[in-house]
Order: sequence, then C-alpha cells, then structure tokens
Amino acid sequence: MSKKEPVIFDIGWNACINCGACVAICPKEAGFISAFDTIAVGRPCDIACLLCEDICPVSTITHKAA
Amino acid sequence: MSTSQYDLVIIGSGPAGATTARFAAEQGLKVLLVDKRQELGAPIQCSGAVSRHALEEVGVAPEEEFIHEPIYGFGIYNEKGEKKTIDYRQLKAEEYGQEEGKKPLGYVVDRRRFDRYLMTQAERAGVEVWLKTEGLSYQPNNDGSCDVYLRRFNQAITARARVLVGADGLQSQVGKWANLRTHIKITELASCLQFIVDQVETDGLLEIITGHEWAPGGYAWVFPKGHGYAEIGLGVIPTMTDKNAQWHLDQFIKHSFFKERFRNSRILEIQGGGVPLASPLRTQYADNLILVGDAARHVNPITGGGIHTALSGGAIAGNFLADFLNQGRQPTAANLKAYQDGWLEEIGNKMWQLYEVKTDIFRTHDIRQRDALLFQTMSGYFSPHSEYKKI
Repeated sequence: MSKKEPVIFDIGWNACINCGACVAICPKEAGFISAFDTIAVGRPCDIACLLCEDICPVSTITHKAA
Repeated sequence: MSTSQYDLVIIGSGPAGATTARFAAEQGLKVLLVDKRQELGAPIQCSGAVSRHALEEVGVAPEEEFIHEPIYGFGIYNEKGEKKTIDYRQLKAEEYGQEEGKKPLGYVVDRRRFDRYLMTQAERAGVEVWLKTEGLSYQPNNDGSCDVYLRRFNQAITARARVLVGADGLQSQVGKWANLRTHIKITELASCLQFIVDQVETDGLLEIITGHEWAPGGYAWVFPKGHGYAEIGLGVIPTMTDKNAQWHLDQFIKHSFFKERFRNSRILEIQGGGVPLASPLRTQYADNLILVGDAARHVNPITGGGIHTALSGGAIAGNFLADFLNQGRQPTAANLKAYQDGWLEEIGNKMWQLYEVKTDIFRTHDIRQRDALLFQTMSGYFSPHSEYKKI
C-alpha cells in the first residue's frame, strides 16, 4: 500500500456544531485536537485517512496538501 | 508546579466519571474529579433518554432540576411508517402512568442540568471537583502510584494518584495515553444530528424510525423534550450513504411519512455527535488506569444509548476501586483486569451479545430484509419481555 501524502485540515467554524465525532474517529495519537475540541487544524496529519471528513454530520471539514 | 495526592484522579465529569467518583468517595477514597469544560453536559451530544431503573440503580432521585419529560414507552416505526406501540401505560397499567402512585418508565433529561446534578452529588460525597482542568498525560511511578499531568486555568499541576480513571467520553485521550486499542471503525460510528424543535406533538413515547431510506445504518428518532418541545434526530453510518447526516435529517423532516407532522416545526437548538454502535473495548485497563463509560465504549450497540451504561459502569468502577484500594492492592494492569471481569459479568457480556445481534442485522445485504430485521429487533428490544431491557 502506498503511503498517503500528509494533509492539513481546515474546519468551517460557521457550520461546526462541536459534536466531537471527528475526534472520536481519529486514529492519530493523543493530542491531535484543536482548542475547540475538533481534530487539529493548521498542523499536518500524516495518516490522511480522512475519516474525520466522512463522519462530520455537517461536512464542514476539508483538507489541503501539507 | 505543585503536587497533590489522591486515591483516584478521574478525568471527565459526565455520568460515568461523576458516578465512579461518588461511589468511591462514599467508601472512603480521596477523589479528584476534573473536567476541561466550563459547563458540564455542553455542547450536548446526546438525546438524553434514560430509564427510571437506571437512575434508581445508582441512587439518583428523579429531580425536576434535570428532567425534561417523563417517558412511558416506545413507538417503533418501519420505513413505511407502520407503527408498533409499546406503551407501558397500557401494557402494565397498574404500575406505569401519570396518576398518583404510578411511575414513568424513564425520562428525557437535560444533559447540562443532569451532569451538573451528578457532579454536585459527587461533591457532596466528598469528591474534590475542578472545572476548566484538562488532562495532558500520565506516568506510572515505581512505587505503584502514578503522576497525572493537568492544566487548570493555564496552570500546570501534577496530581499523584493510585489509579487514574479515564471517563473522558468517546473522544477519550486517556485510553490513548496508555496505548489501549481505542480506535473505532467508521462502519461502527454513527454520525448523528438532532434538532430541538417547537410545534411537534408528542405523547410520552420515545419514537424510533427504522429503515435504510431515512437513516442508513442507524435510525431516526422523535423524543418529547418537555414544555411542548421535541427532539428530531438521526444517525447514519457514513459507509452506507454518500450523503451526510444533515442531508438525511432534512429529507426525513421534509419528505418522510411525518412531513405533515413536522410542517410547522421550528428549530430551537442544533446538536450532534458520534454514537458508537460498536462492541465494548476489549481492554479497558492498564497500569494505574481504568476506563469507564463512553471512553471504554460502554454504549448499547443496538440503541446507541450510553447514559444507563455509564451510570452502571460508574457504580461498578467506584465499588471495585474502593474495595481494591482499601485492601491495599497494587494497581498493576494484571490486578486491574478484575475490574473489567466484574463489569463483563454484570453487564458487559450482554452488551457483547447485543453487538452480535447488531452485527448480524447490518451484515444482511438485502435492504428490505435488513430493514425488517432492524424493525423486528427494535420492537423486541423494548418489549416487556426483552432479556436486554436492563441495559
């Protein structure tokens, strides 16, 4: 399996309902969390599974290449 | 940096953490309960349904302070809107009802008030509670204790404990600190959204709407919320749909067999969450550490309900830890395994059976068959004869 390229997540805060589902599904190590209890933004995720985008009930998580 | 010493440090003051704390403190343990939030229960990520039995079992009186509305039964719908009513006011009229001397089957609670109430009960039992206090990590020591690193109003604090209890919810970081296998599969985490609405009639029943058309992988619900309000929500499994929960909820409100009922609904609050329809964690303990509640995935895999299991699990954990530490036993992983064994015996093994039932339903590829199975299972689950009704 080829290794995925790291990504940086962006959260549209206007739509975020602080449900925590993105953190619940995240397989990263402890602490990959933003100050608003979402997955971390502004720093690279080297797993790039994008499960957080899939689970978000309001689809407000996007990413770009790190 | 200062260091204080406790028998238990508990991270997370939801129903599981506060109940663990209260039971342990009542039996003489010195307990510190911390939560990073400024208002417990918020943001609400839960529908708030809990049985009366669940409260009684852990000595919580049903106070007006936290009850939105009493519940008397269930209305289970299939995808076409055909309803199976399980109304305990009719099934067991001598026991359940609004009249004097009769009781409700359960309640929909206000999680903000409920969690604060449980924390208050813990505090009154002697627990020290710190809000705005975040857990950062923990380190077992050679003398059998562990150091728990906290940040409270920006101040770094180390608390020394004999056991750290992770009650930090589905998003648990404590389990990750101990390298426990906490990761949940995307096929077993429902993406949920709910609206608190005005102008939707209810009748003391928890209404559950099954069917792939409305909530693929999960179900939709309409719960009474008190004062004439209701809660309309649903959970979907992302791998079973290419749309998000918001889209499905919109479809359910505007196009389902309830569209006339919902026509004048007005949204008052928007809430959401991830709800595990999964098995409990296989390992819920490590050196100087146990997990309880959502953090240990003590959640009913059929209904997604987690309050009852959090309260029961909290009582089991609190009682276990009081006995364990009062006997002076060393909190190694090998010794703390007895906590999980006890939990499995009391409720966990039944949760594993429920997980098998749930898995069989969603292994069925034919959608009509799967819909029929889910409807049948939900109807059986809430019936008076269900072997699982105490979970």
